[in-house]
Amino acid sequence: MTEVLGDFIRALRAADIRVSTSESIDAGNVVDLVGLGEREILRHALSQVLAKSEDEKQAFRETFDRFFAFDQFKAKPESAEAERDGSEREPPSGESQNGSGGMPGPGGGGTEGQPSGGAPAPEDLIAMLESGDQAALQMALAEAARQAQLNRIRLFTQRGMYTRRMMEIMGLDGLNEEIERRERADPAGAQRLADARDALREQVRDYVEKQLEIFTANAGRQLREEVLSQVRLGNIDRSDMKIMRTLVAKMAKRLVALHSRRKKVEKRGQLDMRRTIRANVEFDGLFFHTVWKQQKIDRPKVMAICDVSGSVAQVARFLLMFLYSLQEVLPRVRSFAFSGQLGETTELFERERKIDEALTKVLRDFGGGSTDYGQAFVDFERLALDDVDHRTTVLILGDARSNYGNPRGDILKKIHARARRVIWLNPEPKSLWNSGDSEMKRLAPYCDTAKTCASLKDLERVISELLRHAA
Amino acid sequence: MACVLPLSAPLSLVLRSPQQETKKKGGGAIFASRAELNKMDSRVNNTDAPEAIGAIQQGFERSGYICNSQIATSIFLAERLQKPLLVEGPPGVGKTELAKATAELLGKPLIRLQCYEGLDEAKALYEWKYGKQLLYTQVLKEKLGDLMAGAKGLKESITRLHEFDDTFFNEEFLEPRPLLKALWQPGGAVLLIDELDKSDDEFEAFLLELLSDYQISIPELGTIKARTTPIVFLTSNNTREIGDALKRRCLHLYIPFPDTALEQRIIRARVPEVEERLRNQLVAFVQGLRGLDLKKLPAVSETIDWARTLVLLHARELDADLVRSTLNVLLKFQDDIENVDSEINALTTKALQVAQ
Repeated sequence: MTEVLGDFIRALRAADIRVSTSESIDAGNVVDLVGLGEREILRHALSQVLAKSEDEKQAFRETFDRFFAFDQFKAKPESAEAERDGSEREPPSGESQNGSGGMPGPGGGGTEGQPSGGAPAPEDLIAMLESGDQAALQMALAEAARQAQLNRIRLFTQRGMYTRRMMEIMGLDGLNEEIERRERADPAGAQRLADARDALREQVRDYVEKQLEIFTANAGRQLREEVLSQVRLGNIDRSDMKIMRTLVAKMAKRLVALHSRRKKVEKRGQLDMRRTIRANVEFDGLFFHTVWKQQKIDRPKVMAICDVSGSVAQVARFLLMFLYSLQEVLPRVRSFAFSGQLGETTELFERERKIDEALTKVLRDFGGGSTDYGQAFVDFERLALDDVDHRTTVLILGDARSNYGNPRGDILKKIHARARRVIWLNPEPKSLWNSGDSEMKRLAPYCDTAKTCASLKDLERVISELLRHAA
Repeated sequence: MACVLPLSAPLSLVLRSPQQETKKKGGGAIFASRAELNKMDSRVNNTDAPEAIGAIQQGFERSGYICNSQIATSIFLAERLQKPLLVEGPPGVGKTELAKATAELLGKPLIRLQCYEGLDEAKALYEWKYGKQLLYTQVLKEKLGDLMAGAKGLKESITRLHEFDDTFFNEEFLEPRPLLKALWQPGGAVLLIDELDKSDDEFEAFLLELLSDYQISIPELGTIKARTTPIVFLTSNNTREIGDALKRRCLHLYIPFPDTALEQRIIRARVPEVEERLRNQLVAFVQGLRGLDLKKLPAVSETIDWARTLVLLHARELDADLVRSTLNVLLKFQDDIENVDSEINALTTKALQVAQ
């Protein structure tokens, strides 16, 4: 049982459920406690020990159903049908079947005694195939899978190998010899056995495929996510957007977990006299409790100015997605979008529940014009410069390609003077900065940092830094 | 399962079976063969789990808490494995109620600790009785002369002082707060740590020792172990993610909104005055309401309140006007009420149809 449980836990881990060692031990205790009699109770009980959030419960349910799918119950009616089909097709075979049914009697007795010894001998396999004992076959199958270490299967190219290995463990060679031997004496019987062998092979292959699916359910996705987080955002295929969205959500969650921990720093050594006196009133003013001065960690006010013209729109999309997924640690985000003219999009994002729809709207309203950084800064000065203060971090996302217009570095200078920090994110690699109509050299001096930011990984790093700096 | 048994006695028997018995069962067998599996089957099927879980469910029902087998299973496991139970779910689905019902079922006192930002050990665990300690030092000062009588020199006085019992930090001067109280309770208790997500991270970390070993460390005294292991419930509304370390130590139960059948049973148990037809209609309406995109979905507690309201108004059947005038019982945000307003007619008709 522990082995089955171990496999199950491995399958859960493959399905993105984190299971620690201590939880595995708990799971063992739970199984001992509730038994295997009632499927529902077992499922509820295990889910309470192993899956510890709403998402994990969902994944658990699916994995449980897949892992503990009872194949032999499904296989039985099928084989009964096959038998019926067979008897319909060849009426005389019923007779010979009876004959062979009588023959394996002693052999059948053998199977009952044998199994404790491990893998069944070829005769047992033949007997099982001939009697159509699905339950016994299933047992043998599971045992063969265990011996072949099927739970180590990782790649779909390994299917053939594992199928072959399991067949061999179950006694394929002996079976083939038997078929050959019978071919001379009893061609019909040999044919039947060969059919049964092929059916068994199908079954084994099915089993292997199912196991592959269980143990590698998420491996493909994990690999894909890893690749996607490093690929340049501009190059991402439309079909991957869904994965990207969940990826951003996951990264944002990680950032929240990382940065929501500390809200105050205690300045040990500076007594907060007022609160100390207050805390010790009940002791007649004797100082039992000392209260130290604290400093609240202030999350920055973030203003994000995003170029949403064609070249940068994709990156802007993800930056905004990030910022708005971080509500918990960044409660005050204001966003502005521009290509020709600049407008505030904060309200739109707060109103629209679905970030994607809001983004599409933003791209429709502001995208498409020819990029003009000068105009954008003028608009920003009019709209929001007064609100920029020493706690504000201004994030500017753009390639600084202003179509040879004046980028108005002077306004950026003003912003820089008022803001706590100005960060410029440029999706282009550094070697392309200042080439053509790029105005990075005129704008970069007024930024605290200017860096390339092309992939999700970059974005995560930048935002993490933003939060850490504030702490 | 016979239902005529008196309430707490047989149930606590069912719940508290000796540990060794569970140890004997199962335990590390690998069923490699059919024979072994059969043996295993018979062994494993002997467990009393289904009966015990059914008994818990019935016990809850008698005290007016209607639950499904999932919740009953979690109580069973929490009791047998002696592990704390972390209960999550949207507000108003009966997380706190569950702890109360368990306390009633087991006949143990319920000790409740409400979490909030800034909750610390002094309020959750223990505090020294400073006043008494002060008095003690006063008394000590007076008696000091007697104690030191005949001692020559400073060294001897100090030796004498050391011989003297140190009662300044003593359990007598300890003021137990909920957590310590739960550990000290003879015969065990049900400890409810409510809305854990509202407390600080530091407090969560501080709970770890209590939850894994049922003991707490007081620097001046050492470790204090539980006299009888309490049953611990932690609830969370998920306003923030609970740390992994804590989750690992707990069983995790997620209570979602109940389905129609369960909610009808709950209303029947809680508001028996409401007639069946109206009950079906109002439950169907609330279930429909939960399908909408609202700031705060109505929970079971709101359904109960609404049922009571309708009984007070002597309503016999649901209609759009009645719903409109009582909607503020179900929905707690003006935005939500305004948003739903246009759909009340459709929802009501649908509810009437479903209830038919």
